[in-house]
Amino acid sequence: MSMLQIWLVQALFIFLTTGSMGQLLDPCGHINPESPVVHLGSNFTAVCVLKEDCMDYFHVNANFIVWKMSHFTIPKEQYTIINKTAASVTLTDVASLNIQLTCNILTFGQIEQNIYGITLISGLPPEKPKNLNCIVNEGRKMMCYWDPGRETYLETNFTLKSEWATEKFADCKTKRDTPTSCTVDYSPVYFVNMEVWVEAENALGKVTSDHINFDPVDKVKPNAPHNLSVSNSEELSSILKLTWINSNIKNVIRLKYDIQYRTKGASAWSQIPPEDTASTRSSFTVQDLKPFTEYVFRIRCMKEDGKGFWSDWSEEASGITYEDRPSKAPSFWYKIDPSHTHGYRSVQLMWKTLPPFEANGKILGYEVTLTRWKSRLQNYTVNDSKLTVNLTNDRYIATLTARNAVGRSAASVLTIPACDFQGYLAESTCYLITVTPVYADGPGSPESIKAYLKQAPPSKGPTVRTKKVGKNEAVLEWDQLPVDVQNGFIRNYTIFYRTNIGNETAVNVDSSHTEYTLSSLTSDTLYMVRMAAYTDEGGKDGPEFTFTTPKFAQGEIEAIVVPVCLAFLLTTLLGVLFCFNKRDLIKKHIWPNVPDPSKSHIAQWSPHTPPRHNFNSKDQMYSDGNFTDVSVVEIEANDKKPFPEDLKSLELFKKEKVSTEGHSSGIGGSSCMSSSRPSISSSDENESAQNTSSTVQYSTVVHSGYRHQVPSVQVFSRSESTQPLLDSEERPEDLQLVDNVDGSDGILPRQQYFKQNCSQHETSPDISHFERSNQVSSVNEEDFIRLKQQQISGISQSCGSGQMKMFQEVSAADAFGPGTEGQGERFKTAEMEAVLDEGMPKSYLPQTVRQGGYMPQ
Amino acid sequence: MKVLAAGVVPLLLVLHWKHGAGSPLPITPVNATCATRHPCHSNLMSQIRNQLAQLNSSANALFILYYTAQGEPFPNNLDKLCGPNVTDFPPFHANGTEKAKLVELYRVIAYLGASLGNITRDQKLLNPNALSLHSKLNTTADVMRGLLSNVLCRLCSKYHVAHVDVTYGPDTSGKDVFQKKKLGCQLLGKYKQVIAVVAQAF
Repeated sequence: MSMLQIWLVQALFIFLTTGSMGQLLDPCGHINPESPVVHLGSNFTAVCVLKEDCMDYFHVNANFIVWKMSHFTIPKEQYTIINKTAASVTLTDVASLNIQLTCNILTFGQIEQNIYGITLISGLPPEKPKNLNCIVNEGRKMMCYWDPGRETYLETNFTLKSEWATEKFADCKTKRDTPTSCTVDYSPVYFVNMEVWVEAENALGKVTSDHINFDPVDKVKPNAPHNLSVSNSEELSSILKLTWINSNIKNVIRLKYDIQYRTKGASAWSQIPPEDTASTRSSFTVQDLKPFTEYVFRIRCMKEDGKGFWSDWSEEASGITYEDRPSKAPSFWYKIDPSHTHGYRSVQLMWKTLPPFEANGKILGYEVTLTRWKSRLQNYTVNDSKLTVNLTNDRYIATLTARNAVGRSAASVLTIPACDFQGYLAESTCYLITVTPVYADGPGSPESIKAYLKQAPPSKGPTVRTKKVGKNEAVLEWDQLPVDVQNGFIRNYTIFYRTNIGNETAVNVDSSHTEYTLSSLTSDTLYMVRMAAYTDEGGKDGPEFTFTTPKFAQGEIEAIVVPVCLAFLLTTLLGVLFCFNKRDLIKKHIWPNVPDPSKSHIAQWSPHTPPRHNFNSKDQMYSDGNFTDVSVVEIEANDKKPFPEDLKSLELFKKEKVSTEGHSSGIGGSSCMSSSRPSISSSDENESAQNTSSTVQYSTVVHSGYRHQVPSVQVFSRSESTQPLLDSEERPEDLQLVDNVDGSDGILPRQQYFKQNCSQHETSPDISHFERSNQVSSVNEEDFIRLKQQQISGISQSCGSGQMKMFQEVSAADAFGPGTEGQGERFKTAEMEAVLDEGMPKSYLPQTVRQGGYMPQ
Repeated sequence: MKVLAAGVVPLLLVLHWKHGAGSPLPITPVNATCATRHPCHSNLMSQIRNQLAQLNSSANALFILYYTAQGEPFPNNLDKLCGPNVTDFPPFHANGTEKAKLVELYRVIAYLGASLGNITRDQKLLNPNALSLHSKLNTTADVMRGLLSNVLCRLCSKYHVAHVDVTYGPDTSGKDVFQKKKLGCQLLGKYKQVIAVVAQAF
């Protein structure tokens, strides 16, 4: 019961207390915003809003509001009365990270009552994370780390995001104590590229780092090689073989290694050249080590191509190289006991133990041999570093070698002089006196000096010779005198030189020199020189040497000859230039201008010459007066009027052609064929002209008569015939134009002229015969074209009654027989015979009739 | 995570088994969308070769580890119990075009990956102490997942193949212990055999 009462009292107390507290804690207003986070250095405005009932209770309004910041009143200038219930305050350039801002009212005039308070937090937005990188410790998860940038003063969350091209992985959120790294949850998968980036976010913003894309296998830090062991080789004392076990990563990637070693006790590591350990392996032999020396090794590895990270260093392992024979003989000395007994003496031999780097192993003992002058050998094996023996008073040679498990050192040799040793020293002989100090632990470094018992002048003088001889100087050289002829210390040399007639000059030279330059000599002069060497006791002359100074110094001749040659060349050049400038004058006097017949233009003359040739008149054609005897025929072109004479001659020609087919032809035939060319087409005009200008000149017989009239005089002249004439009849460029003949009547007057001659045949029924022939012998299109040219040439010249028959024969022969050359020849032969049979005067048509040139007559 | 994976794999298996109906469907038409989260890397084929070599080099060890962990009678009856008698295994033709080989490779690895998931789940129950085997199975499955990603990336970026229909092996969840061990052993034997051929083909 009492318990119940107590409980009720307590409950009532709590209820009442809570109600009164609720009243008390109910604020008279509030500040907006409640929990602000602002950028450091920016402005901030807060508004305090009063409650109506509170304002009535305390009889206040917004004008009574007082702002306080960390218990300090904010100046009224920063207040703004918004309305009756609200007033704001603006804080400029917020610099504090944490500000307590309170809104207060002045009640009853002076009493300050707190209405509301907020905490203003300021900071900075996160910076873009930089230097993002990841590491895959073998057997563990991938960890990425980055530089978060500046301090934000705010709680900033970093999230590591990662994905493959085909799927996304879970985000990795940093822990509060390690905001700059994150270890992902999933196991790394090698050989798949992944993209990773970091997002940093706080109350003031969110920023993303650059994305990095990599294959995790390129970020691997392998486990260190383990079980490193070292073994030596009995065969080679300078090597140690390392063996180790690689980590499992070697099944996935190829490795390279970094092996370091040092002698035990040393601090600095030496490194095996990286190129020697650049591939996957599990052992390595280190060479060039010192024998019987303990070495310490360690090893680490990484991906062969250098991508990723080095593993940690392995555990250190040590090994000792195998022994080698001692590399040096021990230092060796003796001490003679001065007390003599019966011809014997006590000699103590002593030596220093070899240091480890010379002993190359454990020294098992020393071997001493003593040899009396040309006598027997005594051997001693000693473990100590000294030996005392009784020797006779004779001279002894002692040798000492150190021995280890591998072999013996080289021997130290020592001479123990005889007891009654008295040296005999000769005069004039150089002696090398050496003094070696003997300390308690062995001999010190010896000192030596050369000495003479008594000096004498040298036995021989030095032999001098010239090294170089100039116009006014000569370089002399000589050899040092051998020791056995010096007889003393050479103090100086004296050089004597003279001409044939002059006085002798002497020059002293220091004994350390072997060369001297004589100057102020006379050119082109014979000199005699000798040399003497002097000791303290006198000197001795050497043999005399002669030399002659040259007349000219080196380069002197060249200095004279070259300017002379240049002057001559310049003069010649000026002369040539003068002649060149006055060549017209010189030419006029020496060789006058003679006209060149080869440049005549008789063959190009024609009544129908194109304007560019300008050969329309006889006057122009023979303007140079070289062809005054040539008769020129002008023919008027006429489309319709036939030439009965021509037809007649062609008829005769055709008859003869049949009978003489196959005979060889002369030049007249050739000219006939060439003369037909203009009748083919006008399109080869330019080409024809060009051919003429570039061909060899031929003698041309020009018939001065007209038609069949006998010329009064036969004149021979030069024309520009195209060579070779026969070849020109078969030129393909001409053949291509055959078709134009049939379908281009009347294009040019010249063509009209030939067309006129052949017009009868065009209407003849035999032409269809030819066409049939053309169809039948269509074996070779080119041959037919060629044939057409010949046929038209024939038309242009003969157009006789038997013409079509000949075409038929030629056509068949061309199609199945030899080349067109033979056809042309046959044709030419026939033409010539026709002309002769008619009794025509022996004149010839021009061999070349080009467009705008001669017409055939 | 592993529990989740262990649950998801059979679920996927069942879902695909219903749709797949035993035979692989043709690849998706060309006009299907072929988007990746970021551009595929240029050395995909090299990476695929490395992954195949990685799988090939570890396949035999996995096989040995598996049948050793199962105990008798498996180690002494390999021919009978672990012969590569997997009837519905996707075909692979080594002399095909690169595209055809990649499509077939995708099907093979998808099949193997799902089967490895089953084996891993079963082994965790049957041989909970065979941690080395579990680790190796997980590692192999991870490599296969990466290989699938690379193959899909290659098919997508070069051949515009966005999706390849695949088939999976039988679900072993309802079978008895011996059958589970036997099917796993047969699958790993088949895997060892096939991966050597596939690795040689690329």
